Amino acid sequence: MLVNNKKGFLNKFYLFEILTGLKITMRNMLFAKNVTIQYPEERRTYSDRYRGLHYIKSVNGVENCTACMLCPTVCPAECIHIVAGERPDKEKYPVKFEIDILRCCYCGFCEEACPKDAIKLSNIYEMAVSYRDKGVYDKEALLVQRGTK
Amino acid sequence: MPKCIIDGKELEFKPGEMVIQVADRNGIDIPRFCYHPALAVVAQCRMCAVEVEKMPKIQTACSLPAGDGMIVHTNSDKVKKTRASVMEFTLINHPLDCPICDEAGECTLQDYSFAHGAPDSRYEEHRRTFIDLDMGPVIKKNMNRCIHCTRCIRFCDEVGGFREMVALKRGNSTEITTVDGKPLETEYAGNLADICPTGSLTLVDFRFKKRAWYLAKTKSVCEGCAQGCNIDVNSENGVVFRHLPRENMEINKWWICDEGRFSFKYVNAEARVTEPTVRTADKKLDFTDWKSAVAEAKAKATGKVLVLIGSDLTLEEIRAIQAFAKDKLKDAALFHFGTPGHLKASDDKAEDKILRRTSKTSNLHGAEKLGLKGWDGQGKYDSALVFRGGRAMMLTDLRKNVGGAIIGVGVFETAAIDSYEVVLPGLSYTEKSGTIVNWQGKEQKLNKAIEPVGQSRSVADVFALWS
Repeated sequence: MLVNNKKGFLNKFYLFEILTGLKITMRNMLFAKNVTIQYPEERRTYSDRYRGLHYIKSVNGVENCTACMLCPTVCPAECIHIVAGERPDKEKYPVKFEIDILRCCYCGFCEEACPKDAIKLSNIYEMAVSYRDKGVYDKEALLVQRGTK
Repeated sequence: MPKCIIDGKELEFKPGEMVIQVADRNGIDIPRFCYHPALAVVAQCRMCAVEVEKMPKIQTACSLPAGDGMIVHTNSDKVKKTRASVMEFTLINHPLDCPICDEAGECTLQDYSFAHGAPDSRYEEHRRTFIDLDMGPVIKKNMNRCIHCTRCIRFCDEVGGFREMVALKRGNSTEITTVDGKPLETEYAGNLADICPTGSLTLVDFRFKKRAWYLAKTKSVCEGCAQGCNIDVNSENGVVFRHLPRENMEINKWWICDEGRFSFKYVNAEARVTEPTVRTADKKLDFTDWKSAVAEAKAKATGKVLVLIGSDLTLEEIRAIQAFAKDKLKDAALFHFGTPGHLKASDDKAEDKILRRTSKTSNLHGAEKLGLKGWDGQGKYDSALVFRGGRAMMLTDLRKNVGGAIIGVGVFETAAIDSYEVVLPGLSYTEKSGTIVNWQGKEQKLNKAIEPVGQSRSVADVFALWS
């Protein structure tokens, strides 16, 4: 049951309450810091532990990866595909290394499982692609050093 | 029977048996590197150490004959300490290249290191390194990983028939190698990779193809010859990667020959015909659908039909073909074929003193059991139906016996079907279940390991479409 506690004609307009509310609104509008940012010009900085786009660490131009297959083994999304091979300067290396970032769930298990410190998840979070096949990153694309982890 | 007590269990044994054999038979696991039931006991890895009551020192279970009333402990503190020390000593020179090594996942050293070893190493000196010589087309050696169990040397001496592996130098610089660095000659070289407890000897063919833990193992029988060695077919996603021998003391013991080990190649080969194929009006072979291909085959199998049944088919398939020929073909002559010069089961002889037989198809003795005769290449026929399982010889010169159409059902290679009118793709031994009979008369089961490649179908399916 509604109870009208307001007495008097003027009080029935709730003028005081409206002003109190308006005061909070104006304070936030004029003096509070913005929550949003001007995205393309301004970027947020994320923690170093952020798990974004992958890369394969390379030292002196040689990839750390030895195609041991531990990352595809541990991957819950089954998005890593490796073919191993042999070359004169390296006993075992990945001939093909593909990550389907459309399937990836960015759990970071691959990074954790890697015994060679090769696969890394960078801070990069902009991964939109215009075609589905561009969502599959091959070895060349993954060898771009996207961080210093 | 005398009895000994191992880990509190009272176990019977035959006099002369070693403690490790008694334990193995009763499911008690004693770790070992150098001991292998097929090979002479050398007791040099010291991993199988056990504690025996009333004996002052630790004993190696592989070289300790079980005695009446002997009380053995395989898990006491003293034993655990010994194992940890042995592991540490064994791992001194072992490189940490499990990510590269093909053995990882099925490596005895890896398993025991995890179970009995320490998580870190105290060793600070340089690890020894070797330059590896070529060991032939089957085996790839990596001496850095070797732990000197000498199983490979003993295998070559005692089973393989060639004394071709030796240990050079002594102590830390011991190098296991072939005599004068020559490539291996034995036909059983692949077994070296199986018995090697580390990744020192691995298969060249399987090198870097797949990690061991991905492979599904299906119990099956090798179709390489009439011996019928028991194998595990290792496959993943419809691709066969390798054969491993499976223990069967009555037939192949622990081994298979290299020919059988690598006989799976044609299953996923590009050259295999996996679509129903019919020769068109302009004499070219063209893919078509199953229904029209079978209709074409039915229309062309007329007159006096020569039915050739590969002796690499299973008993079930041969029976189905016999019933089909009786039922659907008016005038048919049935023969089996397989290896050149093998018309009857008695032509099959031992090729060496170990496993290999001269009949290069697995079910020659089974085909004979079902009343088939070998094909001698004589006679004139109007048309021919050739059933082949993948291992029997390619029949490319049937034209001289057959006037009309030659129809192939089964596994064929594109290069060998020039004279064929219709080819209906069939199943290889990895894609079907069935029974085969080896030279001793033992019936053994094949189990389906992978789904049929391409549009291949079973013989029964072909006959169902035929009528």
